Amino acid sequence: MEGAIRIVKRFIGATMLITAFLLAFNFVLLSVWIFKGMDKGSSPASVVQTVAENLHRTSAEHSSGDYMLNASATDLLEQNRAWAMLINQEGQVVWAYSLPDELPRTYGLTDVAKFTQSYLLDYPVFVWEHQEGLVVVGYPKDSLAKYHHILPARWVSSLPERIVGLLLINLGLALLLSLLIGFRLIRSIRPLTQGIQALGEDREVYVEPKGFLADLAQSVNRASTLLQQKNESLKKRDEARSNWIAGISHDIRTPLSMVLGYASDLEENANLPSESRKQAGIIRKQAENLRSLISDLNLVSMLEYEMQPLHKKPLRLSALARELATEFLNNGLDERYSIEVEIGDESIQVFGDERLLKRALTNLIQNSIEHNPEGCTITLKTALDQARQTGRFIVEDDGKGIPQHLIPELLDLPYSSQRKRSSLHGRGLGLPMVARIAKAHQGQLILSSASGKGLRAELVLPIIKQQTNNKPQIGV
Amino acid sequence: MDEIKHKKLLIVDDEDELRQMVEKILRKEGFTRIFQAATCAEAIHICQTVKPDLTILDVMLPDGDGFSLLSTIRQTSDMPVLFLTARGEDEDRVLGLGLGADDYIVKPFLPREFVLRLMAILRRVYLPPQPKKYPVFQLGERTVDLESGTVRHGGNEWPLTAKELALLAKLYDQRNRIVTSDALCQAAWGDDYYGLENTLMVHIRRIREKIEDNPSHPHYLLTVRGLGYKLMVKEEE
Repeated sequence: MEGAIRIVKRFIGATMLITAFLLAFNFVLLSVWIFKGMDKGSSPASVVQTVAENLHRTSAEHSSGDYMLNASATDLLEQNRAWAMLINQEGQVVWAYSLPDELPRTYGLTDVAKFTQSYLLDYPVFVWEHQEGLVVVGYPKDSLAKYHHILPARWVSSLPERIVGLLLINLGLALLLSLLIGFRLIRSIRPLTQGIQALGEDREVYVEPKGFLADLAQSVNRASTLLQQKNESLKKRDEARSNWIAGISHDIRTPLSMVLGYASDLEENANLPSESRKQAGIIRKQAENLRSLISDLNLVSMLEYEMQPLHKKPLRLSALARELATEFLNNGLDERYSIEVEIGDESIQVFGDERLLKRALTNLIQNSIEHNPEGCTITLKTALDQARQTGRFIVEDDGKGIPQHLIPELLDLPYSSQRKRSSLHGRGLGLPMVARIAKAHQGQLILSSASGKGLRAELVLPIIKQQTNNKPQIGV
Repeated sequence: MDEIKHKKLLIVDDEDELRQMVEKILRKEGFTRIFQAATCAEAIHICQTVKPDLTILDVMLPDGDGFSLLSTIRQTSDMPVLFLTARGEDEDRVLGLGLGADDYIVKPFLPREFVLRLMAILRRVYLPPQPKKYPVFQLGERTVDLESGTVRHGGNEWPLTAKELALLAKLYDQRNRIVTSDALCQAAWGDDYYGLENTLMVHIRRIREKIEDNPSHPHYLLTVRGLGYKLMVKEEE
């Protein structure tokens, strides 16, 4: 919707701009074109003026009837196919140039007044003052239209305001029309914009193809169908992969049972020399490693393809931290290592699968132990993030750390093409598994390290909103 | 105890060598009456004729699956059933246990663990239930009697409250190991224990007053900073 309103705003803005530009252009054109055309050299007023100015008596004698029009003025008349005459004070034609025969040769005051206002026997005529009388230039019939504008003085003086008003009315009309068109446009593109937005969010879309945007609607529908098909085939492929891994691990389990069973049988067999029993012990131990590798592989594959069912329940991070630290301490943690617990906020709760989260945190602690054979202090911290939307479980050690540039690799699956180096001894599925468990909980794993300053792993998880301080009151 | 070793056991698995191995493991443990079946049909036949006391069941069988076999068996018999299978997914586990299996072991397995779990089932089903006895143990010169809920020392006797008893039982159960304050709270107050850490401290102090010579410098009930508590008990015998 936001997008559609923006489109209409821009549309209206553009329309208004175009309208204003058109109006201005028209005004300019009008004044330049029309008024200039009227004032052109050969306009009737200028022709009659030229004729009047160039009509001279040939002799100085008074009342002698000879007049002379010079060549350029004659040409002008010729060009306009006009005739000319000079009427003296007594109303007699004293000079004429190609005067049509039908015209009278004398004019009274009334005649003069009449043809000055309009036409002389349908000839459009124009007059100019001459020292001997009145010069009249006539144009061919029907060649020119004569209008007289009589305007009230108030109307003329208010002309600028009127022009501004006209402009405003024009602009207002343009705004109204563009709003109307704009909203109609929006109505027809709204389903489309919604459809495209839904496409972006990977939802299934159907836009009814109608109106002038039917083609577009059909394209959106096609894109949606295509996306759904792609998703489906991807999901199918993921399922196939996951099932394949599950199948392989299933088939490995039975033979491995026998390796494990007979190896531990040999290991416990008192009749064998101790060397052989030790070797059987190694086989047993490696078989156990293989067993945990298979179950890890299965779990990671299920998580990767989102097929691992989660059994979620509210969990307190602080309790989880204490439980994990205690488990490591109770199970004989080597004295080179020490575990500390720092609780930032006792009350942080997440909604998670206890077994998986414990597995993730155990992996992180195990990782710190395995990669610092000289020993280190491992600190488990819990903290609430600023926005109070997510909580953090931090596993930090003060050991060797990892060069910063190697960190992104640690989260890739060890057998993926992205991972260039062979897994740095034993950094196998542990950390990728943690990252995937975090993802399955809508969280993420952040690793940071500076060489020589230890590794810091942060599990960021969305927290459960608490009701404030409902401590249960239980009798002591 | 030997009575258990005379129980009839049935192993159902399509893999011949695995059946042999399981039988060998069981014989080594002292079991003598062991039967084998490779298919559902064989298994049902043995169930009807021999009437075994416990069945070890695989899920994937050539003529059916272990789950439906279990359902068939359950129609006529209540004998304990233990799944031993390569199917390791949570759903399979839940399905098997939901159908009434007594345990679910995923291959590959350690023989020792397998035997222990098998024995536990047999004992639970076939040995008469023993009354649950609370332990009596020695802390230095004091005797802690969880059965009667008292601490005795030199002719004196201090009674323990119900909460103190619950806490001590939990600590003794995990003796010489750290028990988190969360676990202790849960033992005394149940699941909804949040915010009771201070109450726990009060109870711990009262217990120390009864079992320690010097409650301010405890010898037996130790605080593990930030985590919980630990009850140090010298194992006798």
